[in-house]
Amino acid sequence: MGDRALGMNRGKAPAPVVSVLGRNWAFFFLLLTLVVFSLTGKNFFALNNFQNIVHLATTSLLLACAETFVIITGGIDLSVGFVLGLSAVSASSTMQVLYAAHWSAAASILAGIGVGLASSLACGLAAGVLVSRYRVPPFIATLGTQGIAIGVTYHICGGFPVWYLPPGLTDIGNAYLLYIHPASGAWSFFSRPAGVAANQVKELVRVFPVSFFLIIVFLLLLWHLLKNTRFGQHTYAIGGSLDASVRAGINTRRHLISIYVLSALLAGIAGIVDLFQTGTGNFTTFGAQLELFAIAAVIIGGASLMGGKGRVLASVVGVLLLKVLENGLNLSGVEPFYRYIAVGLILIVAVVIDQLFPDLF
Amino acid sequence: MTRRAGLTSFIGQRWSVAFLLIELVFFSSLAGGFFSLNGAQIVLFYSTTLALLATAETMVIVTGGIDLSVGFVMGFASVVSAKLAGALTDRGLPPDMALLFAILVTLAIGLTPGLVNGLLVARLKVPPFLATFSVQGITYGISLLLTKGSAAVNVPNLANVIGNGYFIYVVPGQGGSFFSAPRVARGTTVIDLIPTMVVVTVVFVAVAAFLLKRTKFGRHTYAIGGNIDAAVRAGINASRHLVVIYVLSSFLATLSGIIYMMEYVTGKSDAGSSFMLDSIVAVVIGGASLFGGVGTVWRSILGVLILSVLEMGLKIMGVQTFDKYIAVGVILIFAVLIDQFFPELIHKED
Repeated sequence: MGDRALGMNRGKAPAPVVSVLGRNWAFFFLLLTLVVFSLTGKNFFALNNFQNIVHLATTSLLLACAETFVIITGGIDLSVGFVLGLSAVSASSTMQVLYAAHWSAAASILAGIGVGLASSLACGLAAGVLVSRYRVPPFIATLGTQGIAIGVTYHICGGFPVWYLPPGLTDIGNAYLLYIHPASGAWSFFSRPAGVAANQVKELVRVFPVSFFLIIVFLLLLWHLLKNTRFGQHTYAIGGSLDASVRAGINTRRHLISIYVLSALLAGIAGIVDLFQTGTGNFTTFGAQLELFAIAAVIIGGASLMGGKGRVLASVVGVLLLKVLENGLNLSGVEPFYRYIAVGLILIVAVVIDQLFPDLF
Repeated sequence: MTRRAGLTSFIGQRWSVAFLLIELVFFSSLAGGFFSLNGAQIVLFYSTTLALLATAETMVIVTGGIDLSVGFVMGFASVVSAKLAGALTDRGLPPDMALLFAILVTLAIGLTPGLVNGLLVARLKVPPFLATFSVQGITYGISLLLTKGSAAVNVPNLANVIGNGYFIYVVPGQGGSFFSAPRVARGTTVIDLIPTMVVVTVVFVAVAAFLLKRTKFGRHTYAIGGNIDAAVRAGINASRHLVVIYVLSSFLATLSGIIYMMEYVTGKSDAGSSFMLDSIVAVVIGGASLFGGVGTVWRSILGVLILSVLEMGLKIMGVQTFDKYIAVGVILIFAVLIDQFFPELIHKED
């Protein structure tokens, strides 16, 4: 862009402390918010609250991971938010119909998951083929598949959440690994201990939500995929220079298709997770901007929209930062409206730091 | 060139016009009441806000940027102008003064998001996507704070009179009048022609189109979008130019919000939430490239009309509007594919 004089720090190695701070500023900022909200927020510093934050962040984390892969290749996926809704709605509708047709709960749930994932796969395939074969800019290709996903979603659900689903969805989605009842000393795995009555549920200490387990597995897999495998290397290479990757013998077309399929599948999984957590097939509302928040989290994590940069764990920090801000401001009694302003301001600080100290990242 | 190539070229360049015509024929034959004076005026009336946003987006996209904040700046402007007009009327100001004052102040305030965008993009080199995304969040938050999440409805009725008024009223056989309905006996037929807000929109869009097409300012805009380094070397102050572009974009979005307030007599913080993407879609259908350097205001307006005719046509037909999204998605991909297959056909004249 215009005058290059602003890249003043280029070539001069920064002091190690500055470098570590700058590179991980989002992480340190996250720690700072945790400390501040622990002091200001009512019940913020509590096992329950932290578990809640992660539990409610599950879908956002999956979307941010999806976006991380796409953004590293220099692309962008605007469809993830509505692919999430499509997956949730098509899965739940399938469950509803099959369960009403006297399938067993387990069979209809499994079939529903299959249909949900297949629908998201189709979206990803379409976007991937458009981007890699027909060289449609990712912004437009995924905007197009987003429109189609919205239309199909609303056709399926008619603009209402899908109810009357097989029982047990939320029992799985909102379960905890361990339940302890301190008063009686009873404890059990996965469900309320036998001796504890329904009205004593509030006394239970619940440890380690199932969604926590799920997200850790996914994060480890994706982190490994990006960091230690050839697939990951090629992803960075394509983002660094598409032409150089082609010359280096990478099948960039096929790789880009896999990237968009992976992104849509992760969004589809997020939709299934949402279905299990809420027990309802929720469509994505227009103002939700899930994809924009996922992109924001990835950028806060230090990725560049130009491609070639980004880390799964850094994107996780980005998501947690946004979620902790939301939760902390809420528990500190701040009106929810300030949340948007706070997130916007923090984002500006993030990108300005990124631009002023390019060699720190 | 062979005749065949000439024909493909002709269609390639005008496919969006052809598409609009197909839409018009389709809805005229299938949607009862669509093909009428009223139907046409409804489509134009509905297009006003989106047309201004698409004009704003065109300017930014021609420079190779993108402005995600236009939708919420529009909502912000509708809220601020509605609140101000209401508050001033309550303080005892005559409605015309209150409205005028509210509009002027809103236009001034509405420059701020654009200034922030511009400074972030031009001076601090923040990618436009992120700069404008951050600013959209902040403007949305502020308008939610102003309204506490509900709509601002305390607008003087004068806004309604102007916003839903017509430019010309014709009384067959007795002449007519401009801007306000003539006083005639009950039961006399009065034909309303051209909604006032359409006139206002056309004026501003025309000025923007002129600015982009015929002035040095416009040439510099295309130069920056084509190759910013070359533009800088050619002596263009790209940094200042970009700030002006984002401020202009914000100004047009603010105007769009004010027009929304006049038309619907409310201020809503999320008034433009779905218009942001629609405006980008319209610009892309109009043949602009997100890489910059290509795009004209009138072609974007063509994109706006394609979207509005589709939306209104489907509404009049009573089809669920969800289909609109599928259609828009398909049109969008179609638009770019044509762009990919016949690049030399479409951009020849630009």
